Amino acid sequence: MNLVEKILARASGRERVEPGEVVVANVDVLLMHDLSGYLTSRVFEQEVGRPMRYPDRVVLVFDHHFSPPTEERAEILEKTRQFARRHGIHLVDCQNGNIHHVAVQRGFVRPGTVVVGSDSHTPVHGTLGCFAAGLGNNSHAGMVMPFGKAWFRVPETVEVQLEGRLRPGVTPRDAALWLTGQIGEGGAVYKALHFTGGFLRDLEVWDRWLFPLIAIDVGAKCGFIDPDEKTLAFVRAVTDRPFEVVTSDPDPVYAERWQYDVSDLEPQVAASPTLGNVHPVGAFAGRPIQWAELGGHGGGRLEDFRQAAAILKGRKIAPGVKLNLVPSSREVFAAALREGLVEILFEAGGSWFPPSTGSNQAINMGALSEHEAMVSTHARNFPGRNGSPKAMMYLGSALTVAASALKGAIADPREYLQ
Amino acid sequence: MEVRGRCWKFGDNIPTDQIVRSDRALAPMEEIVRHVLETLNPAFAREVKPGDILVAGKHFGQSSGRAIAPKALRATGIGAVVVEYAARLFYRNCFEIGLPLLECPGITAGVEDGDVLAVDIAAGTIRNETRGRVFYARPVDPFLRRMLQAGGIIPLAAELAEE
Repeated sequence: MNLVEKILARASGRERVEPGEVVVANVDVLLMHDLSGYLTSRVFEQEVGRPMRYPDRVVLVFDHHFSPPTEERAEILEKTRQFARRHGIHLVDCQNGNIHHVAVQRGFVRPGTVVVGSDSHTPVHGTLGCFAAGLGNNSHAGMVMPFGKAWFRVPETVEVQLEGRLRPGVTPRDAALWLTGQIGEGGAVYKALHFTGGFLRDLEVWDRWLFPLIAIDVGAKCGFIDPDEKTLAFVRAVTDRPFEVVTSDPDPVYAERWQYDVSDLEPQVAASPTLGNVHPVGAFAGRPIQWAELGGHGGGRLEDFRQAAAILKGRKIAPGVKLNLVPSSREVFAAALREGLVEILFEAGGSWFPPSTGSNQAINMGALSEHEAMVSTHARNFPGRNGSPKAMMYLGSALTVAASALKGAIADPREYLQ
Repeated sequence: MEVRGRCWKFGDNIPTDQIVRSDRALAPMEEIVRHVLETLNPAFAREVKPGDILVAGKHFGQSSGRAIAPKALRATGIGAVVVEYAARLFYRNCFEIGLPLLECPGITAGVEDGDVLAVDIAAGTIRNETRGRVFYARPVDPFLRRMLQAGGIIPLAAELAEE
């Protein structure tokens, strides 16, 4: 069995499980953010009406709002806070960071566990060797909260083997964007993606994280990486809570095996309307942008700010461009401060925002007009997600975001790295 | 269980954000339902009738897993969703809220917007009455059939807890 099958077997009290079987498994942690938390709380209290079975396993992170923009939103947050207090669940309030980064930094996510969440990017936690999948509000309210369980169809697994070394100016995020295009939207529907290979093995944990992050956008149920020494050192540095590591058997059975080499990649940009519209940066170079942002699900990492600083140190962004800097957690901001990145990026013309999910979904930081465009490290570029459905959204690496902010248009970061 | 109505046909890769805009997700359902799928077909929310059938292409309901998207579709009164294939969270959410969904490879080539369709959920057949053709959907897992019969996951979870 592979890691996901072993975890599901253990959590459902079975010797083994086979792809296609439906199992009811014990859940170790449920992650919810402020948008889904409120919707789920209403279903739980109005339609289920049972006690919260394991409050210690339920974590609510307010990350889409760092400050509520309206009285109505303030009221929703307050009702959700009251819900958290009423049931004794964990609450991480506004300005502490993005749900997934916070869940890792605070040790809620540990290897070998079953992690579920309302956010569709929940599969990112497969990075630490978890079975992690997104579920809907009614799963959480109807089954996880009252019974501590969830139902799963055991997925077939595809091996995604990544080899090669990236060229200068090309980052793991470029490789992940490119891979999204290679597999294709819906190219792995219902599958588990087992990420393997020398390229991945050489990456640090926060860079590995960008690969299970894309699982949802190619339609997969989950993605995972077998834990190694790097994973365990990483987890031990953030938590002293115990965990039991699970790894795949040698030569597990795969439905398919896909191999990719990242050695010849150029920087990649995915333009609206969907992530599948991903091309080498040259395809979009010169298209004007007014917003540039380092933040969002999977963005706002220390690695992103380091990359941006490599390009922006001693330079100024173009007039008319806003560069939003949104750390994914308080720990990231503190580290950026220590490394001098806060000052470098501020002097270049950027503005720091509270740790959160950033301008995602136009909640905190304003909306794009139909005449504007944004380049960011966000995870999504669907029309209307950050304001006008006509506003263009480009996704790229932190290097590409920084280079584009300098130019006021989509730019190839390699021009600035010589 | 059979539903019969007008076919409303949509394309491939439609995200939940386009079924219900994310900034409307917290609004009352009466408001949400007036804007369902409006950027793709403004007539849909105005003219859809109970029992109508929504047909869409590949990877329908991708992106965010908010159950509000299928709940809004259910609130329009549509009787069933028939797609080439669905995004997994959307698939799951439909059964969990009691909205019948069938995956039927080839369906988009065989129906046009405005055709009259009769869908037998239990048998998994889609009859295009306008064109006189029948399509067969992929079988639904027995666990999910039971969930639909129970009326969704909330009643099913309560049933399972008693067992």
